[in-house]
This record gives sequence, structure tokens and C-alpha cells, in this order.
Amino acid sequence: MIQATPRTLHLLDHYADGEDARHFSFRIDFPLAGDLAAIPGQFFMLALPGFGEAPFTYVSLPDKYGHFSALIRRMGALTAALFEQPNGAVLGYRGPFGKGWPLFFSAHRVLAVAGGCGLAPLAGVIQEATSHHLPLQLSVIYGARHAAAQVLGRERARWQQMLPFIETFDEAPAGRRQGSPLEHFDELFGATPPDALLCCGPEPLMLAAAEDCLQRGMPANKIWLSLERRMHCADGLCGHCYVGASYACQDGPTYRYDRYLQLLGGRSAPAAAQDYRFC
Amino acid sequence: MQAYSLDHAERLRAHLALERQLYEVRGDGQGGQHWQLVSAKDLAAFEPAAEPPPFSAKSFFFAERELLFRFDGGQFYSAMPEVVPQVLFGLHACDLVAVAYQDQFFAADPHYQARRRATLLVGVDCLHSCRGGFCSTLDCGPAVHAETADLILLPRHDSSTDWLLLVASAAGRSALNGLKLPVAKGDWQAERAANNYYVAREQGEQQEIVAGIAALNRGEIDGETWEELGLRCLGCSGCTSVCPTCSCFAPLDLPSAQDGMHRERVWDSCLYEGFQREASGHNPSATSGQRVQRFWAHKFGDAFKARFERYGCVGCGRCDRVCPGGIGVHGVMHRVAQR
Repeated sequence: MIQATPRTLHLLDHYADGEDARHFSFRIDFPLAGDLAAIPGQFFMLALPGFGEAPFTYVSLPDKYGHFSALIRRMGALTAALFEQPNGAVLGYRGPFGKGWPLFFSAHRVLAVAGGCGLAPLAGVIQEATSHHLPLQLSVIYGARHAAAQVLGRERARWQQMLPFIETFDEAPAGRRQGSPLEHFDELFGATPPDALLCCGPEPLMLAAAEDCLQRGMPANKIWLSLERRMHCADGLCGHCYVGASYACQDGPTYRYDRYLQLLGGRSAPAAAQDYRFC
Repeated sequence: MQAYSLDHAERLRAHLALERQLYEVRGDGQGGQHWQLVSAKDLAAFEPAAEPPPFSAKSFFFAERELLFRFDGGQFYSAMPEVVPQVLFGLHACDLVAVAYQDQFFAADPHYQARRRATLLVGVDCLHSCRGGFCSTLDCGPAVHAETADLILLPRHDSSTDWLLLVASAAGRSALNGLKLPVAKGDWQAERAANNYYVAREQGEQQEIVAGIAALNRGEIDGETWEELGLRCLGCSGCTSVCPTCSCFAPLDLPSAQDGMHRERVWDSCLYEGFQREASGHNPSATSGQRVQRFWAHKFGDAFKARFERYGCVGCGRCDRVCPGGIGVHGVMHRVAQR
């Protein structure tokens, strides 16, 4: 049976990490085996009693002491209330939920494209690629509106030393790359095109990136997108996070692109050229 | 199924009401029909209406408001409904199929299952089609499907006080303990088959429903058509409230005494503008046409049929009766089938 009641979660600490964004450290009381089995790309439900519950991705996954971290941007009523909480506050936790990123067991050249806060769901994958000597060859391209809007500053400083990590800006500081992440694909594809794409950011950016990769010959079943949807129950029941006949809380948020297109069925994919803003 | 002859349905009702809370749909004298509690001593005649009641049995299991948990500032405490054994007496075939559909959808939901497991379902076959019903087209009626009920009442054509009682489950059988009934004679299977035939004939071929489902699943309905239909949606949630298979809900946090709070879940509607709107303002179903399309894909989409082994519409016609914009099932399928 599903469990709608949260478990207690302690807000341990936080630091500013991007525009209106904070990197929070949390501790779950009495972590369960399921907490330790979480994988990058999955999410948890954070309950702010009186303000509801919302989904957030893990930046670092729960350890045996129940410690984990999450990047959270102040966006609505729940996050505004969270930003008012003192360290030590008792909150609610349910999770982990959903499908995470695929695991690559063979040598793969993988491109990760992130936009805005979309870097957070990819953090676990990047971290694994840099710390476990996997055969995975990961390149990252990260787009943000401007320098102050970039998130995960401490992590990026480390990652930039360890793998190809390109940053782009809508409003670039002097000497930095201007424009959408897509404008820099040629440079990355070059002589050694990647085998797979992992993407998280505004939906139009993800669709544009997926279509671009398709045109370059990457099969749709090697492309994964992490979708954002409003979620309430995370159990596939409340209906809010539907993507076609699927529910993003259970069947996503990570969708393989061919499956995503199939789910849209008769409904055409939103125009890839649609304007978007990184959050 | 074992079949018994039953002289008065009221005798069965009184027997079942001895140890359970029994609900039956009754008129309110003003033209309304409501589920009402009936005691074992109630002698009023059982007169099942030709039309299913305005509200199906949905709220008996998927409550309109359900307490999920309490928080006292330091701990969360789960809340479960206090259930008592109950009987729903005189359910139509379409509504029973809807209960079976939701049994599957809410299979892992403890609140739904606690209520459902305490309930005995007594169905009644329909001898005539209700206004706008098309259960025959969707294989939901008019005969009650045995796997959806515990007991089934079959009214006889020739006499209003003579019924056949079919036992459809073990729970139904044990509920009859203490009630002496003669075994039915005659070919009741043929009688039910004939009823099915007559009601199907009354309902007609429903070509627009059949063609509409096919067009919808072939992806032939363009966005413009959906937006045209969406213009007529007031976002009132009438259809989703009366639809016996609709199941969306939203959380509602409410303050409690002593700085605590409790969370309820309340019925929600995919036709509301903000149903999918995220905190950032991004809304994947921002237009009413997209939301109307979603509602009908959920009712008639083959992907949902693959999961539930039947469509999410049971042919009760309630949405036609309640929609102020004329885009209930026949209104929509009429337009969709024209593509």
C-alpha cells in the first residue's frame, strides 16, 4: 500500500547557490533501504506543513545516516516558506520516486545538456562520472541566463577540472560563450560524436536538443529527457503530472525520447523553437 | 452463478441491513435522486430508477474529502477512515463496472481499499435503456457483469414483485446466510441475454461514439478542433465530479489546534486551468482545448484501455446531462466523428 504520510526530515544547513537558489542539507530520520537505493535523476517529495508538498531532485543521494542535499530555487509559496525556515526545522519527506537516469555499463560517449536549475538532476550522474573511474566519457554543456544565475558553483568548480564542461550564457560576461547550448553542439560533436544525450532544462530546450541530436544521427532511444511536472501524490494517482497516458512521478521524470514521442501520440510535440527562459 | 427466486426485493434489503449500513438511491420529492441510508425496518418499496442517479457510488470509496495525516509540529500521524460494513443496494451495471475500474486504479490506496473491502455491492439489471445511455456499446451493461458485484437482482418482465437473485461472489453468498430462498426455475440466462438484446436495440448503434473513439485513437483530431470544443468548456468540473471513473485529487493543508496542521485530499479536475500549472508558471496544458483533449483521451484512449482492459467511459451519459456547454460525451463525439 502506498504511504501518503511523510516521514520527518531535518533541515540541517544551507548556503546561497545561484540567483534565488539555495543548496540545502537535510537528514532523514531512520533512513530505510529504499532511501539508500535512490539513483541520480530520481526525486523526493518535500512537505512544508501548511504549504503542501512538492517534488525536488537530489543533488547528493541519501547516505546511511540519512544525509542528502538538494538545490532549491525560490519560485512559489512552498519554496518561499522553505526559505524562511531556520536550520533544525522539522519538515516532511517521502521518496525516492520515479525513474532516474539510465546506467551506462559499456563505454559510452555521453553528452549532458543542462539549462538553468536543470543542472541539479544531472549532478549525480556527473559526480559518478568523475569519481568512480567509470568507462563513461561524459561531456557537459550548461546554459544559464547570466553568470549570477548559475547554480551548483562548488560542484562546477570541481567538475571543470575533471571533464569537458562548457558553459554558455544568454547574457555572457566578457570572454565567455554567448547563446544557447545548442549553438555549441558542433564543437562538441566534432570528430567524436556522442552516443547518447541526457538533457534537463526548459522543455523547449530539451526538445530542440533532442531534435538536433536526431538530425545528427543519434537514435531516439539514446536520448533521455528529465521533465518537470506539477506533482502532488508521487504515487501515480492524483493525475496532475500526466504526460500522455503516463504519469511523470512514476514513469518519469526521466523519459526516453522515443517513448516521450509515443506518449504524445496524436498531439504534436510543442514547437522546439518556442521561446524559453532558464529557471 | 446460483440463482434464487425472490418474492420481494425489500426482504433481501431488510436482511442485508440487519448487520450493515445499507444505502439506496431514493427520490427527494423534488425531482432529485440521492444515496440514502435505509434501515432494516424501512418498508418503502424498492423501485430502481431507469436512470442512474446523478452521482455514482464513487464517493463511497474515493471520498470527496479524505483526511490523510496530522502533524503536531514534530511528528506526522497517519489517519485512516473509520469504516463500518456497508451495502450499496441497487447499483446499475455501468456504475459497477466503474467501481471495478477504480478498484484497479486505487489498488494500492489504503483509504480507498479500507472503504471498499467493507462494502457489499448489490447490482440490478436494467430492462430499459436510460436516456442517453450507451452501456451496450462499451460492454458495460445493461446486465450486471458478475465479476463486478456480490449479488445481482434481475427484475422480471411479467411481475414487479418477483425477482431473481443471482449470487456473484463468496461475500454475496455468505451475506444470504439466514435467508431462505427457493432455487430459481427457468432459463434465466436466456432471459438476461434477451434483455441485453432489447436494451442494445433501444440504444442503437451509437455510430458517433464508435467513429469518435476510432478517430481519437488515430490522432485525427487536430488542435484546432479541440480548441473549438475547449471554447465551450467552462472549467466547472461538473463532468469530472459526476464521471464514475474520474479520480484526480489535490492536497489541502489546513491548520489544526495547537500549531499543528492536517492534510486532506479533495477531488480535483483536469479541466481546471491550474491543474498542471507549475510554480514557475509553466503550464503543459494551458489551453482549454488541451484540457478537453486530455479528458477524452483518458476516457477513450487505447493506452488506458491497454492498462485497464476497458475504456474509462462506462456509457452512463452523466456528462451529457451535466455539461452546461453541451460537450458531454455525445456532444464531443458528434464533433469528433465528423473529422
